[in-house]
Amino acid sequence: MIEKSPKTARGSVQCENTNIHLLKANDFVADIIRKEVAKTKTLLINVTSSPGSGKTTLMQKTAEKLKDKINMAVMVGDLETERDAERIRETGIHALQIVTGGICHLEAQMVHQVLDKFDLENLDLLFIENVGNLVCPASFDLGEDYRVTLLATTEGDDKPKKYPKMFLTTDLMLVSKSDLLPYLPFTLEAVTKDALEVNHELEVIQISSLSDEGIDEWCDWLLEKINDKKGF
Amino acid sequence: MKTLEMEFEKEKLDKMKSIHLKVGILSNIEPRLLHNAYSAYHMSHPEYSGVALNIESTELKIQCEVCNHITQVKNYRFLCENCERPSKNVIQGEELLIHKVEFED
Repeated sequence: MIEKSPKTARGSVQCENTNIHLLKANDFVADIIRKEVAKTKTLLINVTSSPGSGKTTLMQKTAEKLKDKINMAVMVGDLETERDAERIRETGIHALQIVTGGICHLEAQMVHQVLDKFDLENLDLLFIENVGNLVCPASFDLGEDYRVTLLATTEGDDKPKKYPKMFLTTDLMLVSKSDLLPYLPFTLEAVTKDALEVNHELEVIQISSLSDEGIDEWCDWLLEKINDKKGF
Repeated sequence: MKTLEMEFEKEKLDKMKSIHLKVGILSNIEPRLLHNAYSAYHMSHPEYSGVALNIESTELKIQCEVCNHITQVKNYRFLCENCERPSKNVIQGEELLIHKVEFED
């Protein structure tokens, strides 16, 4: 422990009520990103989840299903390695890796720095695959149109109340790895009840990137949001 | 501290006496850990070792959009306790604010 300085106040104390939001720099850049993707009418989706819940596999599956219908790309954040971007590029779409070097979330500044590496004019959909973490990414606005959170059946159905900020700020919850449901003590009813108590506006889709369950519904959701953004 | 250094002149920062934070329960900040981090920060920035850090934790409150009733959220059930309608209108509990700074006059 560091000893506090013995310096004490002399005379009167001047006080400034500041109310400075500590993430205001992030929110400022997030607004810039929001304006840039509004100009090109590119739908920007921030995909969050715990590590290993199937975000990258879903990006691959979504690319396979939609790449002939729309122009899409992915920026993906990880603490280290370019593995996820390589996997996504194998599907034939553009993907860029943001290596955070130990930071557990993406910040708007990181997204803005790589935004000009994407041809936004010709992009209908840009995914930001966030770092796997249900805590810090919840606090950082990335200028997205929608936030989508995966919750894998292997994680347990009690997560929404353990990570309330994430589920409060999410628009769509994808219950992933549904092909494993017969083997796990996890019920869609329990997880949905918990999640809706936190966020009554939350939409829920059950998916499996292996069996394809719910993938068409997920793709339809995306296409609807793309059309909404383009004003069709 | 970087935020404060951008906000105030060095002359004023030299007279800084205390920093008051407001930290909401949904901000994912644990006050005790922040106090520890602040102590550790003083090793590399002894010029601020005399500046006290006060952290006020704020409870989670919502205001119903229909009946305007303010409810303190318990067990993360975002329901108005008056009319029992769900609400996401958080009016307190998400803050991460430098609420007040005191300087020696």
